[in-house]
Amino acid sequence: MTEIKHKAFLFDATRCIDCRACMVACSVENNIPMDKTRIWVAGVGIKGEFPNLDRASMVYHCMHCEHPGCLSACPVGAYTQREDGPVIYNPDVCIGCRYCMNACPFGVPHFDYDKGIVDGAFIDKCTFCPQRIDNGQQPACVATCPTDALEYGERDELLKKAHERIAAHPNRYVNHVYGEFENGGTSYLILSHVPFSELGLPNLPETPVNAVSEAAIGLTLPVALGWGAALTAVTAGVHLYNRKKEEVATVESTTEEVGI
Amino acid sequence: MTKTISRRDFLKLGAAASAALVVGQMLPPLVAQAAREAGHLNAAGDGYIPSMCEMCVWRCGLIAKVKDGRVVKLDGNPEHPHSRGKLCPRGQSGLMNTYDPDRVLNPLIRVGKRGEGLFRKASWDEALDLVAGKMTDIKEKYGPEAMVFSSTHNLSQVQFENLLYAFGSPNYGTQRSLCFNAMITAFSLTYGVEEPSRKYDDVEFILMVGRNMMEAISTSETSELSHAIDRGAKLVYLDPRYTKTASKATEWIPIRPGTDSAFLLAMINVIVSNELADCEFVKQYVVGCDGIQDEMRRYTPEWADQITGVPAATIERIAREYAAAKHNALAHPGWRTSNFINSFQTERAIATLNALSGNVLTPGGCLTAEVSAEGAGLGIPHQPPYPRISAPRLDGVPWKYPLVPLKLGVFQELRDAILTGEPYQAHGWFISRQNPVMSLPDRTKTLEAFGKMDFIATVDIILNDTAWFSDVILPEASYLERYDPLLPVGDKAFLRQPVIEPQGEARSALWIYKQLGERLGLGDYFQYEDEEDYIRQQLKPLGVSLEEVKEKGYAEMPEEDKNGEITFNTPSGKIEVYSETLKNAGFSPWPTWEEPPIPGKNEFYLLTGKVAQHTQFGTQNNPLLHKYSDEPRLWMNAKTASKLGLSNDDWVEITSQVGAAHSKLLATEAIRPDCVYLTPGYGHLSKGLKTAYGIGASDSALHVTYTDPISGGQALSQTFVTVKKA
Amino acid sequence: MKANITIQPRFRIALFPFILIMLAGIGLVAAIWRFIYGIGAISNLSNVYPWGFWVSFDLFTGIAISSGAFIVASIVYIFELEEFRPLLRPTLLTGLLGYIMEVIALLVDLGHPERIWHYFIYQNYTSPLFFIGIYVMVYSAVMAIEFAPVVFERLGWEKPAQILHKWMKPIVVAGAVLSVLHQASLGSLLLIQPTKLHPLWWTPWIPPLFFVSAIAIGLAMTIFESSLSSRYFKRGLETHLLEKLAQAMPFVLGLYVIMKFAQLALAGSLELLFSSGWMSILFWVEILLSVVVPMVLFSIKSVRQSPTGLLTGAMITLLGMILNRFDVSWFAVQHPDPLTYLPTFMADNVHYWPSLPEIAISLGIFSAGILAFGLIAKYFPLFENEEHSHEPTPLAATGD
Ligand SMILES: Nc1nc2c(c(=O)[nH]1)N[C@H]1C(S)=C(S)[C@@H](COP(=O)(O)OP(=O)(O)OC[C@H]3O[C@@H](n4cnc5c(=O)[nH]c(N)nc54)[C@H](O)[C@@H]3O)O[C@H]1N2
Ligand SMILES: Nc1nc2c(c(=O)[nH]1)N[C@H]1C(S)=C(S)[C@@H](COP(=O)(O)OP(=O)(O)OC[C@H]3O[C@@H](n4cnc5c(=O)[nH]c(N)nc54)[C@H](O)[C@@H]3O)O[C@H]1N2
Ligand code: SF4
Ligand code: SF4
Ligand code: SF4
Ligand code: SF4
Ligand code: SF4
Ligand SMILES: [Mo]
Repeated sequence: MTEIKHKAFLFDATRCIDCRACMVACSVENNIPMDKTRIWVAGVGIKGEFPNLDRASMVYHCMHCEHPGCLSACPVGAYTQREDGPVIYNPDVCIGCRYCMNACPFGVPHFDYDKGIVDGAFIDKCTFCPQRIDNGQQPACVATCPTDALEYGERDELLKKAHERIAAHPNRYVNHVYGEFENGGTSYLILSHVPFSELGLPNLPETPVNAVSEAAIGLTLPVALGWGAALTAVTAGVHLYNRKKEEVATVESTTEEVGI
Repeated sequence: MTKTISRRDFLKLGAAASAALVVGQMLPPLVAQAAREAGHLNAAGDGYIPSMCEMCVWRCGLIAKVKDGRVVKLDGNPEHPHSRGKLCPRGQSGLMNTYDPDRVLNPLIRVGKRGEGLFRKASWDEALDLVAGKMTDIKEKYGPEAMVFSSTHNLSQVQFENLLYAFGSPNYGTQRSLCFNAMITAFSLTYGVEEPSRKYDDVEFILMVGRNMMEAISTSETSELSHAIDRGAKLVYLDPRYTKTASKATEWIPIRPGTDSAFLLAMINVIVSNELADCEFVKQYVVGCDGIQDEMRRYTPEWADQITGVPAATIERIAREYAAAKHNALAHPGWRTSNFINSFQTERAIATLNALSGNVLTPGGCLTAEVSAEGAGLGIPHQPPYPRISAPRLDGVPWKYPLVPLKLGVFQELRDAILTGEPYQAHGWFISRQNPVMSLPDRTKTLEAFGKMDFIATVDIILNDTAWFSDVILPEASYLERYDPLLPVGDKAFLRQPVIEPQGEARSALWIYKQLGERLGLGDYFQYEDEEDYIRQQLKPLGVSLEEVKEKGYAEMPEEDKNGEITFNTPSGKIEVYSETLKNAGFSPWPTWEEPPIPGKNEFYLLTGKVAQHTQFGTQNNPLLHKYSDEPRLWMNAKTASKLGLSNDDWVEITSQVGAAHSKLLATEAIRPDCVYLTPGYGHLSKGLKTAYGIGASDSALHVTYTDPISGGQALSQTFVTVKKA
Repeated sequence: MKANITIQPRFRIALFPFILIMLAGIGLVAAIWRFIYGIGAISNLSNVYPWGFWVSFDLFTGIAISSGAFIVASIVYIFELEEFRPLLRPTLLTGLLGYIMEVIALLVDLGHPERIWHYFIYQNYTSPLFFIGIYVMVYSAVMAIEFAPVVFERLGWEKPAQILHKWMKPIVVAGAVLSVLHQASLGSLLLIQPTKLHPLWWTPWIPPLFFVSAIAIGLAMTIFESSLSSRYFKRGLETHLLEKLAQAMPFVLGLYVIMKFAQLALAGSLELLFSSGWMSILFWVEILLSVVVPMVLFSIKSVRQSPTGLLTGAMITLLGMILNRFDVSWFAVQHPDPLTYLPTFMADNVHYWPSLPEIAISLGIFSAGILAFGLIAKYFPLFENEEHSHEPTPLAATGD
């Protein structure tokens, strides 16, 4: 069988005009309540002193990590990753512990702090619009972007494209595609003319956040067995040793056990 | 936006329409029967229907996703040259204009005092009879000219005009004099073409004078510009504000307001005195190429330096770069060119620059003939000749403004005539798809003019500020609920068709005007059964069936020669950089420098300008746009602010000759120290706009009425204000 | 001292439990409010700070101080140091109650407490939190069993008591193993925040560090509780026994501190010890309280032999260790500065500080715990061969 290529976004900050059509589109497509959102325009706004100014904005939603921290962390497995990449949250399973929010290095999952037990408080985050991409459409945010600052496609294609753009305009772009390696690679790739930190993006190592914790869990069983064995040994040892002493001590005096 | 405020806002929003807080969760109307017939919808009423956006006048093609008879999503129509599959934020939010909980869904008749906001629901018969009755009274008592009609460009405007011409009134107010009179007049006089369209395919150098394309969005053109920049085209952008366009420009020139023409004239000076222009072209097509060198001699870069504050060297350099790009240079005509009374000269200079670069005719040139608008090649229902009109126009065209085209008019001047009763007294005002209370300068004056009216009727979809002060409100079906006349774009005529049934009692303008016409005894002028019949008559010459058009969303038009050749409809048949017409009217025949007024000390230029999330004065109540737009604040240069002891989010009082307003302050580096800026469309008076009411300040309350004697354009940047802590 | 023991009870019976009941009541109200109007309605938790005081106090602190139970159990059953037996029941009960309180607190913090059973049908084996959940449940069960004989004795059920007694050793061993995994996995909860938890605290060694410190905490708790009970129930251990435990302290803490600095050295982040501003200070304060001071104190014979000395040493250790739990789960967790993003009404407060109701709920649950302890101590043979006379009732005495 042919392996399925991961889908991805390519965002080019040099093209984004901060018009927010993508945000409105997401709200409508996904029926997001008026006081919630799953997509943001982030960035530095205006920098410098009149008249030497610079401006940058970045559209920002779930990065659909190749190694999703949220998915790894969720105790009840409310997250799943589709073969073609999208990381999807399932409200029917969620118990609302908000550990995924800690686990996500990008602060993407948001929680219904305003919902009581009756309405039910859930996590919300970008779904990658499966209802659209499975239907041959682009995700709503991408589809409407007037300047094509947002693009959608196969991850390796977009990576190629991104590097081509940097090559074509070396002094326009920071020479790095954010998301190619960050957190083990994300499906949201970013080109920028300002340092990524100025777009508010965390500086992440290549090892995904969940690498160590998963390794640690791997050690659980060995540790359990080892420690168990050790303790049993000690217990037995001590016990025998004490019996000896008692026998040696005196035969007639019968120490009457104090039952707990 | 500060947290506190923004939180309040969205709480207020919550209060406004808790039921409507989730997109599409409003009372679901039935799905449009028409759409089902056209085969767009299955029996369940789900499907995709092509139509056209009306969130602004660009009119992108859209495809509406309909579910259970409700619009649930709008996407750009790839087939439409204005959208190409994209919609801007306003277009995306369109369904919330339709599902706005504050929609007016029944005819309303005022019961309280004007502006009190007390209305009662009425049947269409009652409302239409009332309006027709009042109009007839006025006609009989004072003559038809005593009725003022005003409307902003829209697809049913032909029938609005039909109504007013049939009624026999010369008094027609449009948004144009507030918007693009300077540009249209200048280009008509210079090229005999109203608004040449721009081609970005091969553009290498773009000069934009306050055309904030990245915020005042026209989806396709914004996209073309963005791709041109991405390709490496150079964009030089003149604007006293660091707009989002400025941030994408290769070079941003924070020019002093009102001095653009000095900058441009100096460019022309450099180009002609160094003979950098495309001589063949100029000699062949341009009137005035001989005199121009002497004429422009005085406009040296050094001279312009003094006026504009832009270094002479910079001007010289830009001029040379512009010329070097030859016909791949584009001096953008702009759009809202209603900034100063000298904006006409700015536009003339722009027209001249284009002429000099020879980009007009040459293949690959960046300026081409405008795509024929307004139904060329389409049929129109038969109409008897209109009664001839003897009364002069109240706005002074042409008797006071000889060069202003009749169809443009000088809207803002109407009010003085109404208030003085000179040359005669107007008594009634019929308004459609327009919000003059907000869009005209000097809101107080507009309301005073309203006060003089015996009768005001407004056709709108929400209780906008004008409707708020009207006697009768006729609810039009929103653009997703109605048919409109076909709109030709390029070689296609596009259809607006209902994607859902009108909610409540709302009706299309085509229907409303016809009903009114018949009640006014003007039935002969409205010879169409209903909307569909109207469009069938339009389609007749094309021999296409309405069903087919409904299915495709457009009709192919006969191939007209598309080499973009401009036929210059000027007296000389050439590009008139030197214009006899202007001379004979007593104005300078050459593009020339007119000194604009300058603010006194501690006064600021008050600038206006669009934001990407709102259209004019009509969308601030759209909950989706409200959600994603910034809190409106008065922009002031950060250093100036600290000099005045003001800081972010301080409440300030802004005072002009004609009014005062309160706003929060935004101290920013992104504006000249001598300017302040307000986003238009806030500070609504209508309490019928629950989402928008109480937010921001209205610059219309501050704007002083200044009219350019040549183009009749309003000068919106010519108002000076003082700012102090409130 | 003697004097007031006899008089104090009468007026305390009235006051102290009253306060506890009040606190519990307030907590209950706050909790009900939370369930009706949502977590945001009563807490300062936000999308930037999804976890706060509840997790640091109820989960991390609660579980840490419950570790006394497995220490004493191990001492008595595994090392057969019978003289410690009197401590067994109180510490077990503390542990048990600690866990129950912990679970109750967790239910308040969960968005969907009614779905807690999802733990049994949707397991995610990569999630530390999943394992913690399981450990809490199983270990609570084990402690319940370990404590069961008390109940049987009260009910006078000889037979079950006998049977249980036979199996106690293996059960205790199981419990000890569980609690190790449990304490360690609590640490592994933080491993997934390498970019958020300050490098002075984040290390792959968190789990072992948690375990070792848990032993220290366990010892400290034992000393602490025993000192208390000896004061109020006149049933503590003779100081010479506690001294034994105290002697162990320096070694455990030594191991702990060596591990802590060794990992910093290996990670090459020693310079952070001084270069991280407040974080550095926080770190040093923590080390001072949790390691340095206790090590010094417990190495001094005279201190080890004075009841007050022991108590002080234990309390300082606990203070320091609890600070450590707060550091790793809150103070030293730096969530990425929320981007200056739109829509701004979504912008969350960057600085978290618990709201009063948040604290009220935790306090309420804690108070309920103490009440429960008092009641159980009153009606169950918490202290062996104690003639169930009604003077002075533990309930009356617990607080001072
Ligand atoms: N999002 C959005 N898009 C729109 C519209 C909308 O309402 N919202 N409306 C549509 C319509 S009707 C029109 S007319 C166009 C208008 O679009 P534009 O022609 O771009 O007009 P504005 O955005 O009103 O103003 C543009 C800029 O002019 C600057 N300006 C003011 N005075 C001067 C001056 O003296 N010199 C120079 N160089 N600049 C000056 C202002 O700072 C402002 O940034 O937008 C269209 N598109
Ligand atoms: N201060 C200031 N003044 C300005 C400008 C500025 O930037 N600042 N811009 C100027 C410019 S460029 C222009 S073009 C004018 C625009 O001036 P106007 O046209 O007066 O203002 P709009 O807000 O476009 O008015 C549109 C009205 O139509 C209503 N409407 C929306 N959809 C429909 C519909 O389907 N049917 C009907 N019947 N009504 C509908 C809206 O509710 C709104 O009330 O304003 C000018 N005035
Ligand atoms: S960005 Fe956060 S939420 Fe999205 S996949 Fe990665 S870890 Fe999960
Ligand atoms: S909040 Fe829900 S989705 Fe997130 S980790 Fe907890 S259970 Fe999983
Ligand atoms: S992909 Fe879909 S869900 Fe995600 S941000 Fe874009 S529109 Fe919203
Ligand atoms: S739609 Fe495109 S340009 Fe507009 S904000 Fe979103 S990404 Fe930026
Ligand atoms: S530009 Fe935006 S608002 Fe105007 S028609 Fe196009 S999509 Fe609609
Ligand atoms: Mo306009």
